[in-house]
Amino acid sequence: MITIGLPKGLFYFEHNMLWERFFKNLGCNVITSQDTNKQILDYGVKCCSNETCLPVKVFHGHVYSIKDIVDYVFIPRYISLDKNEYTCPKFCGLPDMAVLNLKRQVKVLEVRIHTDMFPSETFDSLLEISRVLNIKYSDIIEAFKAASKEFDEYIQNRHKFNQYIKDVSSTKSALSVLGHPYMIYDSYLSMTLLDKLTRRSITVYTPKDIDHETKRRNAYPFQGKVFWDVGFELLGSAFTFAEDKNIKGLIYLTPFACGVDAFILEFIERRIKSHYNIPLLKLTIDEHTGEAGFDTRLEAFLDMVG
Amino acid sequence: MKVTFPHMGNMYVPIKVLLDTSGIDYVMPPYCTNEPLELGIRHSPEFACLPFKTILGDFIYGVDNGADFILFAGGRGQCRLGYYGDLQAEILKSLDYKVKFVCLDLTNLTPKEILNRIKPLTEGKSILNIIKGIIYAVKTVYMVDNLNELARYTRCREIIKGQTDRLISQFHNLAQKANGYKNISDIINLTKKSLRQIPVDKKYKPVKVSIVGEMYVSTHPNINFQLEKKLGNMGVEVQNNLSISHWITDHFVRKLLPIKFKKEPHEAGKEYMKTNDIGGHGIHTIGCSILSAKNNFDGVIHLYPFTCMPEIIAQCAFSEVQNKYDIPIMTLIIDEMTGEAGYMTRLEAFIDMLKMKSEVATTNN
Ligand code: SF4
Ligand code: SF4
Repeated sequence: MITIGLPKGLFYFEHNMLWERFFKNLGCNVITSQDTNKQILDYGVKCCSNETCLPVKVFHGHVYSIKDIVDYVFIPRYISLDKNEYTCPKFCGLPDMAVLNLKRQVKVLEVRIHTDMFPSETFDSLLEISRVLNIKYSDIIEAFKAASKEFDEYIQNRHKFNQYIKDVSSTKSALSVLGHPYMIYDSYLSMTLLDKLTRRSITVYTPKDIDHETKRRNAYPFQGKVFWDVGFELLGSAFTFAEDKNIKGLIYLTPFACGVDAFILEFIERRIKSHYNIPLLKLTIDEHTGEAGFDTRLEAFLDMVG
Repeated sequence: MKVTFPHMGNMYVPIKVLLDTSGIDYVMPPYCTNEPLELGIRHSPEFACLPFKTILGDFIYGVDNGADFILFAGGRGQCRLGYYGDLQAEILKSLDYKVKFVCLDLTNLTPKEILNRIKPLTEGKSILNIIKGIIYAVKTVYMVDNLNELARYTRCREIIKGQTDRLISQFHNLAQKANGYKNISDIINLTKKSLRQIPVDKKYKPVKVSIVGEMYVSTHPNINFQLEKKLGNMGVEVQNNLSISHWITDHFVRKLLPIKFKKEPHEAGKEYMKTNDIGGHGIHTIGCSILSAKNNFDGVIHLYPFTCMPEIIAQCAFSEVQNKYDIPIMTLIIDEMTGEAGYMTRLEAFIDMLKMKSEVATTNN
């Protein structure tokens, strides 16, 4: 049986289910790397140039940690996941970066997604997978379609049950945590921020809790324009939450020197200042961030918002 | 309406020609001074890439000095460049500047829509003059690049050091003050003529270095610490793969021709990136490094601004490129904090190494 490795970083936090199902449908054995930990981070730091952002370093650590126990590591090439929406450049080069930074000591499988301009590229990459794994192309397509369908249903259900509805939340005060999914849901990189808040019985909302359309509609000033997908997600969430009187504060978790956040955060900070009256805490994380300092800043913020 | 525009290397020369010829009023920020840069840094997000900051600084300077119109090009895609305009407009707005900021999405608009959006500028101007302006400007781009080529040749070979630099800085002084195609092209030609008269050592075999990387820092001397000049004065012959004329040729001229050219650096770069685009000039950077090795350059200098995403990706390919194609590559990353001393030390060490390597090679032959 073929064993496929899924690195628990970047794309994983949103799409793990899709790809896991896809490979299981193909009859592959799927292994996921461990949760991020010190060792994984250290591997990543060793593989990548210093300038690389923290999440990409960590991602390399995950690839490194499983490369010897799997036949292939799966790394999708996300270019555009929706009409008029693009990813960070690093997602487009990710499979190549991993191969080069790991000195070709890893075999990578990729599926390419370019919805905005070249949707058919996905099928080209599936054809390639069929060739490499020696599985009939029609089987691959079927597995992919079944996995996509299941994934879409899951997302829709999530929104049905878990959707953040202003009126419901308005009975109770809450906080919102913003940032790339691979920052806020990775408990190592986020210094267990979500847990820390829940342990204090604080209700927390994240971009996941708002539906796709609402975020697009509120993503000032890019409504109807072209932008990064994560930009739509975060601008839209920030301004949706900022409208809600019961959301007492926004916490934005950002990795040091992220080129995309540099822009998104600037839009948010300026508009929050001019149009809303909600406190915003920006927490920057790099590989040297100490938990003590992080906690102190968090405490101070929580005291302030009450 | 009075327009302002940002600097990028020598681009101001053709832009002036365009605006002068079309009769459009403008404010040009000062060339190669620090004031606009400081303005830009003050009002930009810390981790924005350096080009964003300098361009914003130029805009603020322009508006402070009477401009009320900014024209900027954006587009769809991966990199931040496509979204520069939106953020800059937002920042200017929150600084309370009253300025019309038109950001053209060149990938989406038809020529008619473009004309419509720049109407406030062109209103009452003769279409003929505007067309003339465009043609003259494109010609000027090539003339200026040509002038630079010549300077790269003479600078490393001149017998009395400093002659090329003196002519080039004189050229900039004159060009900034001159108006119109006729005057500017006269200045270019005059400078060329003087450059040709500089006595050079024709037998000198310089070490050859090729510059690759992000376009803005590679072409803007004020930001890259006058890299080309420094190299030339160390006796190094430079090829800069990021000239505007290359870019125009690639993006416009070749598209109009009936034969399809493959963009050579791009094709070469795809050896390491199995995709068509990683944003910015990433693939071009890898390709140019490979081609530089094939064309017998002694080394490659890779330049990019801190946090530049496509170039960080490209950099991953370099350890393999260096080994496989046997060419030393040095990466220099620039931000507003970069100190000139450290930068120079690394540069000098790299060039010394290249010189030594090429001496060993010649004695062995
Ligand atoms: S969005 Fe930021 S953190 Fe994510 S890969 Fe790009 S630069 Fe890195
Ligand atoms: S290519 Fe680099 S410098 Fe240019 S916009 Fe992109 S990140 Fe910024």
